[in-house]
Amino acid sequence: MSEFINETPTVLEDNQLPTRGEDTDGKLLLGTDVTKESLHRTKLLLKIDNSLQSPVLQNVELLSKLLQLNQVPELTTDESDEDMDEITDELGAPADPIDSQEVYDLIAHISDPEHPLTLGQLAVVNLQDIEVHDEGYKDRMAEVIVKITPTITHCSLATLIGLGIRVRLDRALPPRFRITILVKEGSHQSENQVNKQLNDKERVAAACENEQLLGVISKMLSTCK
Amino acid sequence: MSNEESSIFLETSIVSFVSNVDIDEVSSDKTATQIAERISDKKLKLLDLILSLGDYLTSQDLNRRRKALCCLSTVLSKLPDDQLLKNEVSVVLSFYSSKVDDTLIMKETLSGIYSLCGMKYLSISEVSPIFEILKNKYNPSSHLAATRFFAFNILETIFRRFGPKLAEDGELADLFVQTFLHIGNGEKDPRNLLISFRINELISSNWSNVDKFKEDLFDILFCYFPITFRPPKDDPYKISNADLKISLRSAISASPAFAEDAFGNLIDKLTASSPSVKNDTLLTLKACIDKFGGEACLKHWLPLWNSLKFEIMHGNDAGYPDIPVASPVQTSETDNYQLSVNVMRSIANALLKFDEKAFEKFLSHIVEEVKPNFTYEKDLKQTCCLLGSIASATQQTFDRVVALVLPLFFKNSPDLSKLKLEIMNFSFFFDAYIGVFGETNGEQNGVPSNSLSEQKDEILMVLSRALTASPKVEVTVRTLSIIQFTKLIKMKGFLIREEIALIVQYISEAILTDNNKNIYHAGLESLKVIGEIYEDIVFEISLKRMLELLPKDPDGEAQLNGYEPVEKETILKALLDFTNSRHKLVKESVLGLSKKLCQVAPYVNSSEYCFLIISTIHTLLSNNIEIIGESDAVIIKENIEMPLFTAIADDSSLQKDDHNLTLLSNILFFLTIKNPRDTHQNELNRYKKYFVENLQLFVAPSRLVVPFEKLLCGIDKECEFSEVESYFALTMNLLRNEQTVEVQFERLGYLELLTVFTNKWMDEESLLKFTNLDDLSPSNLEMLVWIIKGLVMKNSYQAVLFQEKFVNLLSNLEVGGYVAKLFEVFVVDIITFQKYKGINWNNNVKLTYKQKLFNDVFNRLVNAFRNTSEMNIKSNYLTALSLVSKHISSNLIEPYMDEMLPLLLQSLDMPNSEVKVSALNTLLDTCEKFHELITEHVQSLSRSLLKLISLSSYNSVSVRVLSLKLLETLTQIVPLNYLLPFKEEIIDASVPVLDDKKRIVRKQCVSTRQAYFELGQVPFE
Repeated sequence: MSEFINETPTVLEDNQLPTRGEDTDGKLLLGTDVTKESLHRTKLLLKIDNSLQSPVLQNVELLSKLLQLNQVPELTTDESDEDMDEITDELGAPADPIDSQEVYDLIAHISDPEHPLTLGQLAVVNLQDIEVHDEGYKDRMAEVIVKITPTITHCSLATLIGLGIRVRLDRALPPRFRITILVKEGSHQSENQVNKQLNDKERVAAACENEQLLGVISKMLSTCK
Repeated sequence: MSNEESSIFLETSIVSFVSNVDIDEVSSDKTATQIAERISDKKLKLLDLILSLGDYLTSQDLNRRRKALCCLSTVLSKLPDDQLLKNEVSVVLSFYSSKVDDTLIMKETLSGIYSLCGMKYLSISEVSPIFEILKNKYNPSSHLAATRFFAFNILETIFRRFGPKLAEDGELADLFVQTFLHIGNGEKDPRNLLISFRINELISSNWSNVDKFKEDLFDILFCYFPITFRPPKDDPYKISNADLKISLRSAISASPAFAEDAFGNLIDKLTASSPSVKNDTLLTLKACIDKFGGEACLKHWLPLWNSLKFEIMHGNDAGYPDIPVASPVQTSETDNYQLSVNVMRSIANALLKFDEKAFEKFLSHIVEEVKPNFTYEKDLKQTCCLLGSIASATQQTFDRVVALVLPLFFKNSPDLSKLKLEIMNFSFFFDAYIGVFGETNGEQNGVPSNSLSEQKDEILMVLSRALTASPKVEVTVRTLSIIQFTKLIKMKGFLIREEIALIVQYISEAILTDNNKNIYHAGLESLKVIGEIYEDIVFEISLKRMLELLPKDPDGEAQLNGYEPVEKETILKALLDFTNSRHKLVKESVLGLSKKLCQVAPYVNSSEYCFLIISTIHTLLSNNIEIIGESDAVIIKENIEMPLFTAIADDSSLQKDDHNLTLLSNILFFLTIKNPRDTHQNELNRYKKYFVENLQLFVAPSRLVVPFEKLLCGIDKECEFSEVESYFALTMNLLRNEQTVEVQFERLGYLELLTVFTNKWMDEESLLKFTNLDDLSPSNLEMLVWIIKGLVMKNSYQAVLFQEKFVNLLSNLEVGGYVAKLFEVFVVDIITFQKYKGINWNNNVKLTYKQKLFNDVFNRLVNAFRNTSEMNIKSNYLTALSLVSKHISSNLIEPYMDEMLPLLLQSLDMPNSEVKVSALNTLLDTCEKFHELITEHVQSLSRSLLKLISLSSYNSVSVRVLSLKLLETLTQIVPLNYLLPFKEEIIDASVPVLDDKKRIVRKQCVSTRQAYFELGQVPFE
């Protein structure tokens, strides 16, 4: 058993944490009038000029809007609801699955209870230690496994950190996800005990009824983005 | 005035003065002024005043005595300085001298003497007694600050009047200094200290007898060092801590006579732990070195260096000045590290001026001491900063330091980290070079040969090795190299043109082939800087080559130097980024790109590539519209218009692609409005001939109506256009027949043409001939809307009538829904109808037209909405309203908010996602200002929003995200007690959204839910 895996972690700057990279698709979808054609053009455009305010971009949007506007009017309004729906969702990428990066983004910005730093900065949570098993069907169970690496092997706050992560994920993931939080193998003296405590539903529920504890967790979660 | 009168006047004045003094300063002052006026008008004699005061002056009562003397002193202070003759001064002075034993009235006495010192006819022989009084009869520690103030003032006045004479008479000067030492001893009042420091400085910088007293004079200064003072709240004298500090500093550094004491004591103070004390000490040291000169430094530089060494080598935690951005080394007053280095520079400078050998000794001592740092790469940055700083003192120091130090670099080691260190540390010497020789201004300006220039080839080699031969992952080394290259170019007279060209080439290649953001931006920044100095080189080497690099075949690939592939997008992006706001570069890029465009267009599948090129040109023009002058526009237009016309007319990808054709037409519009107005009539005729006669636009529908229409937008509206009515009729004919113009894009072009005609050339009255308000066919309505748009933009009164008609149409069950959508056309922004700075002659667009339209239709829409119960029709009103308000800034909507909010809430239930988005955006923009209003409606609002967050019809991604965002915003603006009841409901209802298909929705949902979980939760502190 190697001791002190994460004893003196190199503190990462906030912008050094792993991220998904620029999510331009998201920004684009928020533009109001999107057609496939203009979306494609917009993407091309962003390769040469990364500004959403550029006149060219506005022009591309305007043109597709006006072209749509002038289409022969549909005089009945309540037809083809389903079609509309599919059109809107067809645009852009298909569904975005919940992946380990998304889970990481949810928990990496939780503050450490005793440092002014986040769990991601202290490498308590790491992208490669998050597993997501999800087939993408809304009616089937899915699972998330998060392994945390306490900064010292006898870290007494490992359970509190685990609890914070659990509360965050409980609030942020759909109920079909089973959440398992473990300390990384060999990173804590009383690994089994901590693991047991972290995944014991009764104990978690009991903890969440403690007002003071909730206050502490609320403070930890206040830095989440 | 008779004697009697004047004596009565005196009596009363004295009584009035004595009774007012201490109580009503203003009126006692006034009385004194009156007396003084009479004396200066020769109506009274000073002697009379003294006689009249006689009784008071000798009174047993202290207060009476004091007040009387005060009266005399005040009057004296108000007399003109040439009022009293020599003997009078002397008499009055001896009168005051007789009073000095009366210590309780010392203030008034000194004040009187002070006034006398200012008198013109005070002779130097009177000075000595004054000193005697101050020195022997006056004990500063037993008087208040206000009294002591006069003593200092007396000395300062005497010095300023008799300084040189006192100095001639050595004894008097000595006496002066002794007196000063006496009265300055133990002073604590800031106002008096300022004078004391000043006198001290006057003495030590002017007189030769300083040596005798230097220790005493220094002690009376240095006992205050480092001085700190916090002014009381209502300080009447407005003395700041900095005033005292600076005054003390300048006194300490006033004379080389202090050198011995000053350096010793200041070095002691350097060990202080407080940064502010250290700061003061360093600044004072620097002032001393600069003032005392080389001779004084000779003795003291070694101990100084020894005590500064620690600060220099360990006191700095700031990074390299160049990282992360190239910014000049900042010399902030508070940066002790930088100050220490500056002190060393001052020493170097002082020593060099004094004796070259001394400087050599100094320099070699330091270099020897820091040499090991180069070998072990320890504290290298500090070392180089120190040496660079010494080098920057003068040209001579620069030469010496560089000659000694640079050979320590260039070890040519293959280790990249060493290369990095080397490059980073060069920077200090480059800065020193700029400090000594200055920055270049673009001309070939020679500088004297120097030791850095001798090493130029070495330096260039190291830097180019770093940029071109190190692996791409070594971002830092490569970025550094770009930054240093740029610095080299800035250095006056350092590089020759060929070398600059080579550097520009390196950097351009780095930009094109490296996809690292840092390198890209460093390179871009560098090209911009170089472009400011050597625009021609950047044009020749960088811009031209990039343009040439763009392939003609859309499937072709650009290859740099024949082997390295470069994406087309990268080239265009770089072009766009570095030419920005350099007008020559913009012009050349537009020309080059247009040429390229004509070559690319004939290829079959070129529409996307063309789109990229056109977008680049469009962006270049629209971003730089203000810096493109008429002459540029003329040249560009001459060169590109005809080729583009030809290319468009050939059935190429320029014509077939909607976006390409529109953007290209906009480009032509930009060029037209920038061309001189007097050419417009000819241009107009030419366009008419080309489009209408040659291309037969009005015979059969053509896509080429778009460039025609956009060009007309740019033409001066004063131009003669007699055919406008017939063209108008022809256009309407084409449009009316739906079968002929069935392509949407063409329809749009012709519709916009109607707008242009209406807005610029059509007579409003004759317009009515063409419009038929009773025809409710979609094609007619469409035409009407675009025609009205032309009127609306010029705030025409006709527009109001038409608008009224259109509002009424909204209640029409058959066409109402369509008309509602058309309302957006009124206010939509078309780029060719926007305002451009300095141009108001191309079309009739009023700045406030949208606001006016909103004013006009708002009430009408709201009332109509209230008066109908039919849901479909209500929906039409809401749609129209929200589509209009979408284009109007939220602060113009604010006055209508009270009436608007209920409508917005209902819009949230409309079966149209665009309406919802518009309503949500309006709510988001305005909710902070109208939190009370929102609070009233929080229940209905939150219920409506909860319906919008789940995936269903008309809930597009934007609707879902915006509703969640609005829910989150509610937690910040609605009072807790109003919102808490909904907490559970909102948290529960948002659970399914956590499984939304779109990540962006889920992300917003998580933060919204978090906000509600935290509602009412107190974080533990």
